[in-house]
Amino acid sequence: MKDRISVLMDGELDDRSAAQVIDALAAGNEAGSEARDSWRTYHLISDALAKSRVLSEGFSERVAAALAAEPTVLAPRRLGGAREPRRWVALAAGVAAVSLVGWLGFAPQQPTVQVAKAPAPVVPKEAKPALVALPSGTNDYLLAHQAFSPRMSLVGMAPYVRTVSEPAREARR
Amino acid sequence: MRKRALGAALVLVTSVAQAQSPETLGWLRKMHQATQRLSYVGTFVYQNADRTETSRITRYAAEDIEKLEVMNGVPREIVRTRDKIRCYLPDSRVVKVDRRVDRDFPGLLPEQIAALARHYDISLGETQRIAGLDCQTVVLQPKDDLRYGYRLYADVKSGMLMRADTVDAAGKNVETLMFTQFAPGNVTADMVRPRHEGKKWRIEDTGAVPAYLAGWGLASELPGFHKVTELKRRLGESRPVGQMVFSDGLAAVSVFIEPLESRPDRAATGLASMGAINIYTREVANHMITVVGEAPAVSVQRIADAVEFRRPTQ
Repeated sequence: MKDRISVLMDGELDDRSAAQVIDALAAGNEAGSEARDSWRTYHLISDALAKSRVLSEGFSERVAAALAAEPTVLAPRRLGGAREPRRWVALAAGVAAVSLVGWLGFAPQQPTVQVAKAPAPVVPKEAKPALVALPSGTNDYLLAHQAFSPRMSLVGMAPYVRTVSEPAREARR
Repeated sequence: MRKRALGAALVLVTSVAQAQSPETLGWLRKMHQATQRLSYVGTFVYQNADRTETSRITRYAAEDIEKLEVMNGVPREIVRTRDKIRCYLPDSRVVKVDRRVDRDFPGLLPEQIAALARHYDISLGETQRIAGLDCQTVVLQPKDDLRYGYRLYADVKSGMLMRADTVDAAGKNVETLMFTQFAPGNVTADMVRPRHEGKKWRIEDTGAVPAYLAGWGLASELPGFHKVTELKRRLGESRPVGQMVFSDGLAAVSVFIEPLESRPDRAATGLASMGAINIYTREVANHMITVVGEAPAVSVQRIADAVEFRRPTQ
């Protein structure tokens, strides 16, 4: 892949291969991140060789944001739109075996079919919910939830403090 | 070819700049980068209506390891490495281990920051001094009452987020995370090692794996919140649960699904809260549904009420 990125930079890759490499660069996975690292490194090297001025800080992010916002100009729909669904398709395929186990664990028992088919009760928006104590094991829920908060990438792991906070721990006992 | 591509990119940057304030989004990106890039030791305070807690965070950027220690009372610790999160609880002699299935989870990618403008009005506020540093305020005002607002204060020099307020619809702070002391640089691998060996402690591994929770879903999604992942894990000592995560790009809400028979007790149906976190519990199809999120009570409850099980057709 690194070779092909390098060839792409030189503008010597045919359209189809170029599209593949661009896809790889846009991938949200580790390989994509590695590919982007290579891309940036090669440009730094090439800029250094050409003695050109290094791009301002955050330039690649700004370009990435711009590309995501207007995918049609440089790469029709490929960089932005198609990426997310594709990731989940890949994920879904990878976990086919797991899902069976998951289903066994989570499928309600036969006698409950009646309940299962009943539509979810509709609670009017205005209804004030009953206030209850924190459920037992609140910390476990928080620990499980925290990793998926996109906010984490802005604030680091600070929100994890909630998972070891005292009141939640007391509720567990 | 490169020159042409660059030219096109510059044109794009300019056109985006006209659509939204590039300076504002630039600040969010700067915060994101600082969080990844800096090594530091900082003392910070977590505060909600009920309590205040002081902790220390140490980040060793070279290996992407972060450690959080609670400063008062029992020295509980969380160490996050590239692939695992370990939570050391000395009072119960337990290590909770969570594999980071979120590793491929994008968090807040720079390109997603621009997309936040769909749900939040993002603007710059005044500069303020926090922990001795001049900070730029960035305000994220939600466009509806289904999400909280945020006031973020970033160090002007490094971009590091020094304070984050979560604000409800009435403009009241529901939660504040704030550094009171912050020292970048000079962090070694030793400093992010857990103080507890935890060798003879009980290990509770969540065994989290991506999974397809057949039959489970929402009758209707909450505006702006889309399902980002679903997985299977264990909670506590061994209770199997399913987890679905919904997010609007900034706030996230998790739906936990666990068979009633594996629960030690029967949780009461209703709403509980802790700072910015709201938790709503109810039963659906012989399962306990626990919805946990840093979103207003109304959002958490609406997601909980929409949870349904449809027996999969085979």
